[in-house]
Amino acid sequence: MLEFVIAGLVLGGIYAIASAGLVITYTASGILNFAFGAMAFFIARFYYYLHTEHSWGILPAAIVAIGLAGPIMGIFLYAVLFRYLRFNSPLIKVVATVGLLVAIPALATIIFGSGAILQAPGLAPEPVHVYQFLGVPITLDDIIVYICVVATVVLGAGVLRFTEVGLKVRAMVDSPAMTDLSGTNPDLVSGGVWAVSVFFAGLTGVLAAPIIGLDPNKFTVLIAAAFAAVIAAKMRSLPIAVGVGLLMGIATSLAERYLPSNSQWSGEIIDAIPFIVIAVVLLYSLLRRGRMGDVERVGGALDRAITPQGESRLAGSTSGALESGSLGLISKYAGPFLLIVAAGALPLIVQGYWVGLTAAAFAYAVIFLSWTLVTGEGGMLWLCQITFAGVGAITTAELATTHGWPVLAAVAVGGVIAMLMGLVVGLLSIRLGDLYVALVTLTFGLLVENLVFTLPSFVNSGLGLTVNPPSFATSSRVLAYLFLGIFVVIALFILNFRRSTSGLAMNAVRWSDPGARTTGVSVVQMKVTVAALAALVAGIGGGLLAIQQSTIAPGTFDTFLGVVWLAVLVTIGIRSTAAAIIAGLSFVMLPALAQAYLPTWTGNIPPLLFGLGAISAAKYPDGALAEQSRRFRNQLLRLADRQKPPLVIDTLSGPALADDAVGTATGTAQSAVAVGKAP
Amino acid sequence: MTVLEAGVGTETSVLSARGITVRFGGLNALSDVDLDVAPRSIAGLVGPNGAGKTTMLAVLSGLLRPTQGRVWLRGEDVTDASAQARARGGIARTFQQPELFLGLTVREHLVLADRVHFAPRRLWSDMLDPRSLLPASSAENERVDGLLELLNLTRVAKAPVAALPLGVCRLVEVGRALAGQPHVILLDEPLSGLDMKSSENLLSVFQRVVAQTDRDVSLLMVEHDVAAVLALSNWIFVLDFGERIAADCPDVIRRDPAVRSAYLGDEESVEGEPEVPVAGEGGEVEP
Repeated sequence: MLEFVIAGLVLGGIYAIASAGLVITYTASGILNFAFGAMAFFIARFYYYLHTEHSWGILPAAIVAIGLAGPIMGIFLYAVLFRYLRFNSPLIKVVATVGLLVAIPALATIIFGSGAILQAPGLAPEPVHVYQFLGVPITLDDIIVYICVVATVVLGAGVLRFTEVGLKVRAMVDSPAMTDLSGTNPDLVSGGVWAVSVFFAGLTGVLAAPIIGLDPNKFTVLIAAAFAAVIAAKMRSLPIAVGVGLLMGIATSLAERYLPSNSQWSGEIIDAIPFIVIAVVLLYSLLRRGRMGDVERVGGALDRAITPQGESRLAGSTSGALESGSLGLISKYAGPFLLIVAAGALPLIVQGYWVGLTAAAFAYAVIFLSWTLVTGEGGMLWLCQITFAGVGAITTAELATTHGWPVLAAVAVGGVIAMLMGLVVGLLSIRLGDLYVALVTLTFGLLVENLVFTLPSFVNSGLGLTVNPPSFATSSRVLAYLFLGIFVVIALFILNFRRSTSGLAMNAVRWSDPGARTTGVSVVQMKVTVAALAALVAGIGGGLLAIQQSTIAPGTFDTFLGVVWLAVLVTIGIRSTAAAIIAGLSFVMLPALAQAYLPTWTGNIPPLLFGLGAISAAKYPDGALAEQSRRFRNQLLRLADRQKPPLVIDTLSGPALADDAVGTATGTAQSAVAVGKAP
Repeated sequence: MTVLEAGVGTETSVLSARGITVRFGGLNALSDVDLDVAPRSIAGLVGPNGAGKTTMLAVLSGLLRPTQGRVWLRGEDVTDASAQARARGGIARTFQQPELFLGLTVREHLVLADRVHFAPRRLWSDMLDPRSLLPASSAENERVDGLLELLNLTRVAKAPVAALPLGVCRLVEVGRALAGQPHVILLDEPLSGLDMKSSENLLSVFQRVVAQTDRDVSLLMVEHDVAAVLALSNWIFVLDFGERIAADCPDVIRRDPAVRSAYLGDEESVEGEPEVPVAGEGGEVEP
């Protein structure tokens, strides 16, 4: 047994270092770095490039990759991105790091080349020396992991808690402005924090490479497992994060020892251990009826007062529920209407192969609408919409092909099953806070991907499942119009929702939890309902995609790919139904155009651009395209309203309140915004 | 037992609390606090910083569950009811830092609260009902317009609240609270951050609200501006270190040695004359 405990400490040690890096970064910056795995992959790939592909020695390669490239990447990312995220809502912070999660592997592929690397060296010289400890064989790579864990805990906890640097870091989390006034450069401290963070990521990557190889998806799964330890530590406790990380490694090793090796379920239980930890922690928290505390505001009153607040919103424009005025409505809906008309003309304009792609684009557009609903309207970041799409696709195939159901009825049932799953995940996670929703949905997606989508009956010896189109769909063109019709129906539902009492209530919920509850609106009911409806939409979209593709190949619904989908939509516009159709067309057509007319290496440019686009959510929360569209519309309205007197809020508070507006100099719009929680 | 306290848990008091105790770890934020609010009255809840006033409002509004104690709304035990259930039952509140919905306009705040009260099913049925695109009913418009007028908010009705100054934000919160047709409104430091003129305007609104003849509305106000609270309230509760140290009419509270001690310290309370401000003297008492 000791042998398995010691062996488990290796994987546990890697979990521990990753979770320590995540906790330290979150504690010091208020940002949970979803791109930690991507950073780990990038540095590990760079180390492999230097050490294996260019024959550098271990030490110089490690120093350059982990000790120099990692911190430089951290400082660079802080300078161009993270420094602008500090006062943004948890949602925008997650979206920006999700953008990095998409962009960094694409960048790595462009720089270092593609192709999965199954065997990668660690920090020990090869052949790796094996020692005996209490009769248990331990490799030098294992010993290096143990040393790194101890160093991480001692240095991480020690520096944060007992040194002046740690004091400055903690002070800066409370108030960068006050820290600045005290003579400490907040940018220097924050840049240092991110340098250390990416150093940890690089260390994790190089240590993990001998175990999992060099594959960005595997790194994402590894870090998702580390998220279990981070969740158990409530994001902040370094000892608990490290302890749970080590225990998960030991549990994995013991499960490998004691579970029957010939059972298919054994492997799946082992893979599921981090997710079981998450489920236990969430259930325990729910039973205690508490939030996990992810909504702490970063910075003090001074910081909020001096920070421009307009960018701290995601999809923060007014609900439009009670908007009136024909010009306003026309200018708002004319663009999307014309876009739908143009999209409708597309299957008639293009021919052959491209018609099928258009149908696929419309199916993707339906899936993207699920984010328009859950994130654009609901203000929640769900990272498992692709999983719901997969559930819809598999259900469609099973019911239609295996059981002979009418295919559209099978699509509907697939949507309903996805909705029920969304309901359960929502009930488990929403009460805990926005950040936990993102974490839980990401891990749920990976769990289903690894445990359900890999079942032999679905994989079907690598052939996947087949789906036949409805009998009336005699061509791709008919399918395209069928999908477009379904898209329009769902889009109209979302538009109606936005302008309805339900939309008002949802808007209330996302802006102020206590405000909504004391107005009589149930936050949990509203959020769970919207999330479940979004899962329904994703499930339907998945079913449509299955019909278009005829075959559901294994890997079609990988969680990481879903993150790319999200990045596409965020780039274009998370709140606009029209953006969903542009996103669908972009996601399908840009790679196809690149493949058809450009050199092969350009195939990684679209994911890189989408990743960078998602990062731009920090500046344009509604999406770059949506932002341009809104500016155009505002200019139009301004031209039309030129005859009317300008609206000056400070003088509009009525005769009795005129002095109030002027007198409360500190009570300007900034104060009003600052006191409300961003969604 | 006073007249106000006679109606514990019955319809005599619109809102009652008995034995409210809240512990945060080893800290007793509230210890065995009793409180009653009579119909059509203004009650003040005062005390130095850290006395437990905001915690008490959180317990009464359902945002925080007490470690011990019970809360009644118009005779009905609501201790185990959620905040939204209490809101629908008739408890509304405002916050020290306004908790507004920054994506909505002023009018939309009032419309939402109005519909939660008069048409709660629309929160769900509107999702699938295109009729929600039609203009609002005349009754709803009348109620909302009336409130906007009462609070001098008509001219900013279509403005997003994110663009409004603090004083107007406080009025919007009061309007949202009133739109839900509450029996009692809990006001958490409504005058905080306002200048004297704005405070006077807001206080006059409170008086008008309670004086309305067509509805019974009571107010429970937490406020550091003791002079304003004493001038406005029918009854005052004083908390100190989580305990209720006094509950009486404003005139008695002004002379209460325990209150003077809590605000000014033991030495001054022994040596000096009553120092708790009286109406018209203004000024905020900082303990």
